[in-house]
Amino acid sequence: MGKAMLEVRELTTKYITRFHEDVYAVDHVSFTVEEGKSIGIAGESGCGKSTLALSLMGYYFPPLHYTSGDIIIDGKNISGMNPDDVRVKILGTEIAYIPQAAMNALNPTRKILKFIEDVILAHDPKQSKNDIRDLARKRFEVLNLPADVLNRHPVELSGGMKQRTVIAISTILSPKVLIADEPSSALDVTSQKLVIKMIRDMMDMGFIKSMIFITHELPLLYNVTDSILVMYAGQLVESGLAKQMIFDPVHPYSKGLMDSIIVPEEGTRDVKLTAIPGTPPNLKNPPSGCRFADRCKYAQKLCKSFEVSMRKFGEVSPEGDTSERNRAYRCLIPVHELKESYDKEREGGLSS
Amino acid sequence: MKNTLKQVFGSGQFMMGFVIISLIVLTIIIYPLFNPGNPLERIGIGTFFKPGTYVSAFDTVNARQFYTLNLPDAEAKRVGSKLSPDDRVSMMEWLVAAGVSEEDIDIEDTDSFVQLWWDTYDPNVRFDSMTTAFRKKIGRIDVALEGILEDMDVIIAKEGEDGSLAQSSVVAGSDYVNVADVANVRFLPLGTDNFGRDVLKEMISACRTSLLIGLLAGAIATLIGLTLGLLSGYIGGIVDDIIMFVTNLFTVIPGFVLLILISFSIGQEQRGAPVVAIVIGLTSWVWTTRSVRAQVVSLRNRDHVNLSKLSGHSLLRILATDILPYIASYVIMAFILQVCSGILAEAQLSMLGLGPKTTEIPTLGLMMYWAMAYTAHLGGAWWAYFPVVILIALISFSLNLMNTGLDQVFNPQLRD
Amino acid sequence: MKGYRKYFTKKLAWFFITLVFAIILNFLLPRLMPGDPVAQITNKALSGVADAGAAQQVYNQYAELFGTKKPLIVQFGTYIKNLLRGDLGVSFGQYPRSVTEILSSSILWTIGLQFPAIIVGWIVGNFLGALAAYIRKGFDKVLLPISLFIGGLPAFGMAITLLVVVGINLKWLPTSGGYAYNLIPSFSWQFVASVFSHYWLPFLSIVLISIGGQAIGMRSMSIYELNADYVKYSRFLGIKDRKIVWYVFRNAMLPQVTGLALSIGTMVGGALVAEIIFSYPGLGSQIYKGITGSDYPLISGATLIITVMVLSASFIIDIIYGFIDPRVKAAQME
Repeated sequence: MGKAMLEVRELTTKYITRFHEDVYAVDHVSFTVEEGKSIGIAGESGCGKSTLALSLMGYYFPPLHYTSGDIIIDGKNISGMNPDDVRVKILGTEIAYIPQAAMNALNPTRKILKFIEDVILAHDPKQSKNDIRDLARKRFEVLNLPADVLNRHPVELSGGMKQRTVIAISTILSPKVLIADEPSSALDVTSQKLVIKMIRDMMDMGFIKSMIFITHELPLLYNVTDSILVMYAGQLVESGLAKQMIFDPVHPYSKGLMDSIIVPEEGTRDVKLTAIPGTPPNLKNPPSGCRFADRCKYAQKLCKSFEVSMRKFGEVSPEGDTSERNRAYRCLIPVHELKESYDKEREGGLSS
Repeated sequence: MKNTLKQVFGSGQFMMGFVIISLIVLTIIIYPLFNPGNPLERIGIGTFFKPGTYVSAFDTVNARQFYTLNLPDAEAKRVGSKLSPDDRVSMMEWLVAAGVSEEDIDIEDTDSFVQLWWDTYDPNVRFDSMTTAFRKKIGRIDVALEGILEDMDVIIAKEGEDGSLAQSSVVAGSDYVNVADVANVRFLPLGTDNFGRDVLKEMISACRTSLLIGLLAGAIATLIGLTLGLLSGYIGGIVDDIIMFVTNLFTVIPGFVLLILISFSIGQEQRGAPVVAIVIGLTSWVWTTRSVRAQVVSLRNRDHVNLSKLSGHSLLRILATDILPYIASYVIMAFILQVCSGILAEAQLSMLGLGPKTTEIPTLGLMMYWAMAYTAHLGGAWWAYFPVVILIALISFSLNLMNTGLDQVFNPQLRD
Repeated sequence: MKGYRKYFTKKLAWFFITLVFAIILNFLLPRLMPGDPVAQITNKALSGVADAGAAQQVYNQYAELFGTKKPLIVQFGTYIKNLLRGDLGVSFGQYPRSVTEILSSSILWTIGLQFPAIIVGWIVGNFLGALAAYIRKGFDKVLLPISLFIGGLPAFGMAITLLVVVGINLKWLPTSGGYAYNLIPSFSWQFVASVFSHYWLPFLSIVLISIGGQAIGMRSMSIYELNADYVKYSRFLGIKDRKIVWYVFRNAMLPQVTGLALSIGTMVGGALVAEIIFSYPGLGSQIYKGITGSDYPLISGATLIITVMVLSASFIIDIIYGFIDPRVKAAQME
């Protein structure tokens, strides 16, 4: 097991609305990312994955507020730190962020190089401008970005180029953790490929030591990340290696999510695409018991009253495959029963 | 719709503006019921009577009954009204200059002070250190002091048939009349203007006219702006090019200049209030056109509009049902601003002497114009112009406030 | 550089097009009015002139200027020819002074008053607006209503209030004219001091009004920018607030520059009326004199001069804007 780069323990954050209601968009979330590894977070829109991304930064501004839990980066707990310290010592250097809408992420009236200067000088005021320029040039070259981008304004760049520039700027200080929130969703296919390749290159070259990749496009996660977390209504519902999660999901929600997509790999042609019926619950007053119960076709009586926590497969079925030991899910129904139901359904679906 | 209204009226700024403008409108409606009559009636002979209660002197001396009240400070007040502290200081300055030592002067003891003055003052004496203005002032004070210390009754005499005067009654210093017994008392809260009109009554009538001018000008400007903006934004192409060319042209050519040129060319005789309103409306549609067009362009390719187009709906129907409802909030906001700038434009035009012709109706701008023309501001007649300024500012403030409130409801980014 | 050149050429062309249209309007508007404005104006103008010889001269002058009987296009030709020679006709009210002479003596007063006042008001207003947007809370709650109140006030309202309170009641500053009435314009110390003390009240009344209006615009602009994605992103990169506030200020300021170009006409109009209140010897007072005296050539000339001034001001602002906003360059490349 590698060294833990990011460890999140029971992290809870909330939005306070205009009407002073609390909305817990991230609810007791725990996971670990090891050095050199990447982890994907999947879920429907509104499930709290983007809020999780913001919450992981350890720096909060209204309407988002920190409630409880720990964020530990490379052994250092940042959740108790004073916000100004987080800004100077953590953001950009330890943990970096690629925003969802990179189109507007750059100050339209500042040249790229000037902006990089601002980023670096905010953390190390003694750096000389020449050094910064050399560093930026070198980094852009390695990442296959034209160096003259540095002397342009953001408005002069195309969408794909802008996104890759944003990624290069985010990682200019070689952070330990990179949080990418749907970095390629708004791009055309060609640009998407370039962005994904660039992120992979950065992992390989060691510009980033670990990564959290958030998206609603599951096939992308399969290609980019080592493991996947599935989130529903502010909570994690299942975690496991990417391959396991895509081809052998256990939680009914993960199963529903995977069934609604096409994965361009083995044995998918025989699966009917199905959408999950219903809508996610309102987080202002989440339902008691399992939050997915209302939409779950396997739900039993107890589901609506009994709240389960994340359970490791190893604890549930000790005799199971050892490679599945680290998988975890949040459901009352035992793993084997769920799998049996899925198998039955598939047979039924094939025969009909 | 209901929800939107709730939000709009939930905005503190909108509500505050709405309440102010409602109060103004209510006053316009209710006040004339209590004080009917021609607001331009010239009741005062003379200019700029100060605010206060006017009691008929004739009715007072002819009152049915006099009451005797022995009030201890009556005498002091009587003197005080004729001899202000400022006057006393001026008198003392003169006395000191005339060589009276300061210790001998008791400025508080009116009797000895006035006696000393009469003993010393000589209108023919001139001191080099004194300005002409000061000498004139001293002269006026001296005249006002005439009879100040006399404690004599006033004799009322009536003219007999042969022209001789016969004493009919005597009014003593301690005689009082109950105001309720005086037949003619007129309260003029804001005094009168240069023509002797009741300023408050005139102002309320003027406010009504000005609001109507603003509404008419605003309606015209919004209608033109909306039509041009819709056509330009929705049809696009050459229509858009032409409309935008004209709009850009009138954006840079100052509307104020056009207003002056047109109003002057129309001439004083033809310039009634409606004409002024129409001219203002015709010169101020550019902003509405621009913003409506921008909104329509962003709506033009929405799915529901395309669907409507494919269904073969007519241009008018698409504009009315698929576009207009989405820009209604902007149009209302633009209209409110147009009303406001219409009122200000009328006032500015009138200040230049290009307002509505003056004989029929008052407007806020005309009131300002006449107050300035008769130099009310230099003569200290604040009541003739200051309430008007405040009223214009209040109207404009409340409309702007409503607009800001609406802006915050419809542009969530501006919210707190 | 190519993008810039295209932008400048466009703006220059636009300047000339608007100028031509403004001149045409200035020529056409009075002639399109119903009735016979020429006869009307001439009669009115002549009723005030006692000297029969002078009256005849004015009439001739006027007939020549208008060429009443000729077709419009010929009249326009004469008009343009006279314009190019700088001949705007002879004033009726201030006969025999020429309009050009009258206007050239007042134009400096107006520019000297309005240019600094509008610029100062713009700068201070933008600063306060940005501050209100950044601080929000208490400061904003106070500043917004005050700005709305002052910005909504007509310029003459502010002018009268200042005149009465500061000039008449407190007697701090002179209230009327551009300099003391007993002085003759010269470069003496006494005259300059007098101009300076007469300058303050009109200046302040214009400045205060424009502060209010600008502060409101800048406030919304800054709030809009503060919510922009780049602000959030910059924060997450650890950039300090002071730097980010500078980004926001600069980006919110740029639209305010074009805003100034578009609203300068309205501002000048208000300021002209303020001039009348203070009997300031500028164009505003001349227009007032022209209107009260039915002095058609004077009004026509003054409005033309004001239009040219406003058009030039917007043109200059647009050119400056081209230099400071990189987005302009990008837009021309498309």
